[in-house]
Amino acid sequence: MSNEKKKDFEPKDIQHGIWNKETISEIDYKAQYGQHRIRGCGATRYMPTFNDIMILPSQLSRLSLDTYRESCETKTILGKRGASKPLEIETPIMIAGMSYGALSKEAKIALAKATALTGTVISNGEGGLLPEERQYSYRQSIQILPSRFGFSKRSLEAADMLEFLVGIGAKPGLSGHLMGSKISEEIAEARQLPVGIDLHSHPRHGDAFGADDMVVKMEQLRELTNGEVPIFAKIAAGRVRDDVKIAVKVGADGIILDGAQGGTGAAPVMATNHLGIPTMPALVQAVRTLEEMGMKNEISIIVSGGITDGSDLAKALAIGADAVAIGTGAMVAMGCRVCLRCHNGKCAFGIGTQDPELRQRLDIEEAAERVANYIKAMTAEAVLLAKAAGKTKLRNLEREDLRTLTLEACAMTGIPLVGSNFVFGERFGFEC
Amino acid sequence: MEYIDAANLKSIELNKEIINKLKQCGEVTIQNPHSMHNVATGLPDPGKVIIQGSTGFYTGGFMEGTALLVEGNAGWYAGDNMMEGELLISKNTGCNAGTYLYGGNIVVYGNTGSRVGYGMKGGTIIVCGSAGPWAGQMTMGGKLIILGKAGSKVGESMYKGAIFVRDPEAGDKMGSNVFLDSIKADEEQELKDLFARYDITADPAEFKVVRPMQTGRHTYVLFNPDLKPELSRKMPG
Repeated sequence: MSNEKKKDFEPKDIQHGIWNKETISEIDYKAQYGQHRIRGCGATRYMPTFNDIMILPSQLSRLSLDTYRESCETKTILGKRGASKPLEIETPIMIAGMSYGALSKEAKIALAKATALTGTVISNGEGGLLPEERQYSYRQSIQILPSRFGFSKRSLEAADMLEFLVGIGAKPGLSGHLMGSKISEEIAEARQLPVGIDLHSHPRHGDAFGADDMVVKMEQLRELTNGEVPIFAKIAAGRVRDDVKIAVKVGADGIILDGAQGGTGAAPVMATNHLGIPTMPALVQAVRTLEEMGMKNEISIIVSGGITDGSDLAKALAIGADAVAIGTGAMVAMGCRVCLRCHNGKCAFGIGTQDPELRQRLDIEEAAERVANYIKAMTAEAVLLAKAAGKTKLRNLEREDLRTLTLEACAMTGIPLVGSNFVFGERFGFEC
Repeated sequence: MEYIDAANLKSIELNKEIINKLKQCGEVTIQNPHSMHNVATGLPDPGKVIIQGSTGFYTGGFMEGTALLVEGNAGWYAGDNMMEGELLISKNTGCNAGTYLYGGNIVVYGNTGSRVGYGMKGGTIIVCGSAGPWAGQMTMGGKLIILGKAGSKVGESMYKGAIFVRDPEAGDKMGSNVFLDSIKADEEQELKDLFARYDITADPAEFKVVRPMQTGRHTYVLFNPDLKPELSRKMPG
């Protein structure tokens, strides 16, 4: 064959290795602008998930429940350690903190209405409490953030639950980001900011510099809320063992643990892809730590970051969580297609935008119904799995009902591999 | 005038007692505070409270309408998240006095530590002595007045509000994203009224004002290499 003919039949090399199109486009961006890149949503890289776990069904060894005719309780009580009025919700799925600012007013109202349709709680996020959100929500969680945008004593009075936010999974160790395209006059007024400024909010709590101060701060918050409202510490998953111990020490009623798959309206790509640890191993570590401290029954755990369906919920509960929080999933239910462009404020679906025209594209009632349907379906999925495992209460799912599919998940969780009683790594209560 | 001996009370008990006494007579004196934390947390009513001695962290936090006088020093975070009222401290405070202040007036007659007025959103803080570094960092409103020396990085990345400084060297200690401006006539009058109200001797005309840049963009500390090309060992020519 001639050389020319050989050239025609040359196989096409596709770069799957380091120098792929993504790497090259990243370098192009840095070469152009000389700074790190910011975008919306969470990590795009592979991380281990609850999909690496299977649930064991009941067969001869135990009885299953009738999927369609027998009930399985989903009511959930959160924060009963020190609060005289723990939070009671109908399903262990809460709407995670997404700010008014990152989201449009219409999206926030739709999410709040969805909680009223399903009997759950919504977190306000960083931008203060939108009056309509409080008006329509079933239960309201209020975040206490380092920036305190729109926060005052009135916020505490509106809270059915408080979250003392230390970090989020999408950008742990970093402050809030809200790009100028979203700081409209309305948002600027709510946050007391100049219109159109690129916001990188306060990095640390100005009224609690460390764990010892937080003990005193927690007493202050308890006094201000008459000891009624459960107070959670929201932490990004990193040094989970140490952070959980500190949260217990400072007197929190619960922990919201946000894994590295958690999303946000805007964050440096470096942070979303390279900071923190994934949700599943983080949850195991938190549960293990609380059990070692003898505090597992006192401290509630809400886990978030990459929760998509009822199997994630069921597996998280089985590992030891009391509830999960959904953010991106709820946005997808409203129409979001996870284009990762939340930061530019031009969301075509009227969700992550402050543009008056784009906002009109979101039908609040329809979006609320879709989010409520999603929560109902997720709950039903988890209930289906729980009944198949023979549980009359969703919270009765336990780690003994689980097996891991991969060596990696086995080593991370301490749950035996499928088809075996074999465990690698740190123990998690299994006799092997 | 009612008296409360705080020696054997927890802060939550003391605060309840203060609220009860204020309802009865409108003026309460606290004895033996022993640098207790969380004194006067969220006091909701007008009235006057005098603390004979020093207090710990979070003095008068979230207070709403009461006039509180600390005859001594106050620890970190004095007047944090205060909504309304007055917090007067006769001596010094630790760091982060008036952090997230929402409204009302705080007067520190002595010196204050770092980050006074961190993230404040309204109200007024007057420091009669000197302030530590990062005063008024990332404020979103209100007035911070420093009569003595200002620390470094004053006004770092303010969004809104104004910091009044008398320190002649303040211009060399500015944080990023702020500029030093002249005081306006109406501001002079406001300061004059405040000084008269709190028995402070100072001439408002001597003050300059640190204000936030209105460019719509902040500059950040990311990577700024300290380049010294002249130290290269390149051969001449």
